[in-house]
Amino acid sequence: MNFNLALPDDILLSIEKPERYIGNEVNSVTKDKNAVDIRFAMCFPDVYEIGMSHLGIQILYGMFNSYEDVWCERVYSPWIDMDQVLRKEDIPLFALESQDPVKDFDFLGFTLQYEMCYTNILQILDLSKIALLSKDRTWDDPIVIGGGPCTYNPEPITDFFDIFYIGEGETKYREIFDIYKKARKNGMSRIDFLHECAKLQGIYVPAFYEVKYKEDGTILSMLPIFDDIPKVIDKEMCLDLNKTFYPTKPVVPYIKITQDRVVLEIMRGCIRGCRFCQAGQLYKPLREKDVEHLKELAIEALNNTGYEEISLSSLSSSDYTALPELIDFLIKSCNEKKVNISLPSLRIDAFSLDVMSKVQDVKKSSLTFAPEAGTQRMRDVINKGLTEEDILHGSHEAFLGGWNKVKLYFMLGLPTETDEDILGIGDIANKVAVEYFETVPKEKRNGRTIDIVASTSFFVPKPFTPFQWAPMNTKEEFLEKANKTRKGIMSQLNQKHIKYNWHEADASMMEGVLARGDRRLNEVILKAYKKGCIFDAWGEYFKFDVWMDTFKECGVDPFFYTTRIREEDEIFPWDILCPGVTKAFLLREWKTALSGKKSSNCRQQCLGCGAASYGVGICMKERKA
Amino acid sequence: MNKLRLKFSKHGPIKFIGHLDVMRYFQKAIRRAEIDIKYSEGYSPHQVISFAQPLSVGATSDGEYMDMTVNSMISISDVMNRLNTVMNEGIEILAIRELSEGEEKAMTAAYAAKYRIRFRERLKPDFDWIDEFERYLSKDKLPAMKKTKSGEKEIDMKPLIFDYSLNKEEESVELLLSMSSAATLKPALLFGAFFSSLGKEIKTNALEVHRIDIYKYCEEGDVHYIEPFITDDINTRFILNG
Repeated sequence: MNFNLALPDDILLSIEKPERYIGNEVNSVTKDKNAVDIRFAMCFPDVYEIGMSHLGIQILYGMFNSYEDVWCERVYSPWIDMDQVLRKEDIPLFALESQDPVKDFDFLGFTLQYEMCYTNILQILDLSKIALLSKDRTWDDPIVIGGGPCTYNPEPITDFFDIFYIGEGETKYREIFDIYKKARKNGMSRIDFLHECAKLQGIYVPAFYEVKYKEDGTILSMLPIFDDIPKVIDKEMCLDLNKTFYPTKPVVPYIKITQDRVVLEIMRGCIRGCRFCQAGQLYKPLREKDVEHLKELAIEALNNTGYEEISLSSLSSSDYTALPELIDFLIKSCNEKKVNISLPSLRIDAFSLDVMSKVQDVKKSSLTFAPEAGTQRMRDVINKGLTEEDILHGSHEAFLGGWNKVKLYFMLGLPTETDEDILGIGDIANKVAVEYFETVPKEKRNGRTIDIVASTSFFVPKPFTPFQWAPMNTKEEFLEKANKTRKGIMSQLNQKHIKYNWHEADASMMEGVLARGDRRLNEVILKAYKKGCIFDAWGEYFKFDVWMDTFKECGVDPFFYTTRIREEDEIFPWDILCPGVTKAFLLREWKTALSGKKSSNCRQQCLGCGAASYGVGICMKERKA
Repeated sequence: MNKLRLKFSKHGPIKFIGHLDVMRYFQKAIRRAEIDIKYSEGYSPHQVISFAQPLSVGATSDGEYMDMTVNSMISISDVMNRLNTVMNEGIEILAIRELSEGEEKAMTAAYAAKYRIRFRERLKPDFDWIDEFERYLSKDKLPAMKKTKSGEKEIDMKPLIFDYSLNKEEESVELLLSMSSAATLKPALLFGAFFSSLGKEIKTNALEVHRIDIYKYCEEGDVHYIEPFITDDINTRFILNG
């Protein structure tokens, strides 16, 4: 325990939730700072409750601290109230465990989980008194390194990072640490150290790549300035998840956080290939963890944390081969321990309904379907396998089992979308209601009725998906579509049983700009931050007008990144990276999508995406078809 | 089945953990320690534990109490060892006593609390508060406005202060204050009224509050006294009025 806090008592008592800043949580790691060679500050650039819920940090935190020569600590974005106090009192931002200034660390790592956190990166650097721009940093500053899904297009934030780590974090850090130790011992320059790192697979040092643009603003070339670093950076990946470190002693917070439970990752990757989904492409190929291994991890983690709930984590848990065995085991052992099981969004079928009725209060829980689109045609375009029949059949079974709450998720603004697809949303919702009334006769309803919530989000095309070529809708188009969806629902016979929610269009547009942006956005982000943009992911703090003014000031057209039609042979800012899947495959899928055809999943047939080059997982299995 | 009363301390950064989070902390600690705790019946069973009295955020303590019911145990010292092995440094189980059948819950049996009060280093008053406080406490009546559900009402704090002692050297004061369902006097209210009697205003969060112990009410023949929930020391008794 560390009794010496960075902040005096009266400050901690004057702000919201002081527990965010005092560290000392169960399973947090304290070491003697003089006995380690490397001090690593791991940051999730959002508020504590969100950041602490992130599995990736728990993995790397546990792994780094298992190294004798490394002490890894945590940093989160100080909330607005604390941000103001730190600036006013001129207190440098500190890491939670040692409460020492972040600037004293050797590394500052950011996990980049969503684009709307970019200004918070600058907040962290600024409050830590670390030079905001990589080019201004010296050995007095930590090495600033970024990882996570957003690093698959890191171009909008290249100025702020020394290194991007592309891919799964478990594989390369040890090597980086060893290079670092040697570099510091031998008095190597910072540039030379970065150059050594840039030779490693998965390591992207943006300063070493020069981008040239064509007259139309698209990219002409992106080339390394040294001969001995790769032209394209391949992602790093764990080849055997059963032998990879997994945290069974995660840090347990005092306050309630978003994901307040043991999280058991059962596999990585996904066989589905939904064409809008970035994660589905980035983490290919599907690699399952051994079920016996998972059983051990689950029990260990429950014993070490005392959590009263465990949740399974993966992109599509129903696709885990040994799911019935795992769930059987969990139900049995959790029942003994009075531990709840929270089930991820499973495909709704007889099996999942049976399981759900064992672990949840049917009356309180709701069914979740994500058809994503209103018509079969549109669902074929996005390669979402779920059919109307699946939904109605699943609902039917569930209504028989006593459920009466249904959540439906859709996207608006998908490529080739027509009014028919939009109106189809109300249609499906209505059919679910009809299914209820037909399945459950009046005398069996016991005063209850069907309760449907339909939600739409606006589609944002993401790098390394077949839809990376797709133009995004404007804000006006989005709002018109949401309006049509609402009217479509209102015109349904059972409309009073259907509630409709939709997303903010402003935030979606901003996300679209940053997702497929290039290096010219660095200046915009820096300026927007200096004008007070921060916590953009929080609706109440997102300042859309300030962003739009800043684009104007910088002479950057945001629509260049969102609504523009991209040529098939355009060089994208993220083409300097390779997640395994090839651009040729993505283009093939884009064309298949436009022709309205589905593709098979990885278990049925190999589509030759390129991920097989890693030689592991589903790619090495014999196919059913 | 055994009903146990645990005495624990709260020190260091743990003082910033609010009451509900301390409860959640204990629920997890009890699981980690693999205590055979009793769960309530029903669809979402919860551990049968309850606390004597919430401690305000920012205060430390050497005398917090929690009651819990276990289905079985090896011994009291085994329960204590198991818990202390999985505890954070800032929270320590100091003692455990088994309750007899029908003994009141700590929550209802609490009668008084002893505090040690100082001022936080950065927020010390600019006058000799100890002398002034002694003068203040010697008054016959100590009126204060207490917030209630329906607004404010005037109370006299004097009968709620059972005992006090001042330490000029350490600039601290020990107070034994009423803390029961009938009448509770919080140090903040007393100091707020003390400051306003001098025409001054106390700074927010200026008080450094340490709870020394929580007391229950006892009778022995004609003698009415209060003593800490768990104690072997007869000297900790405070005779109310013979």
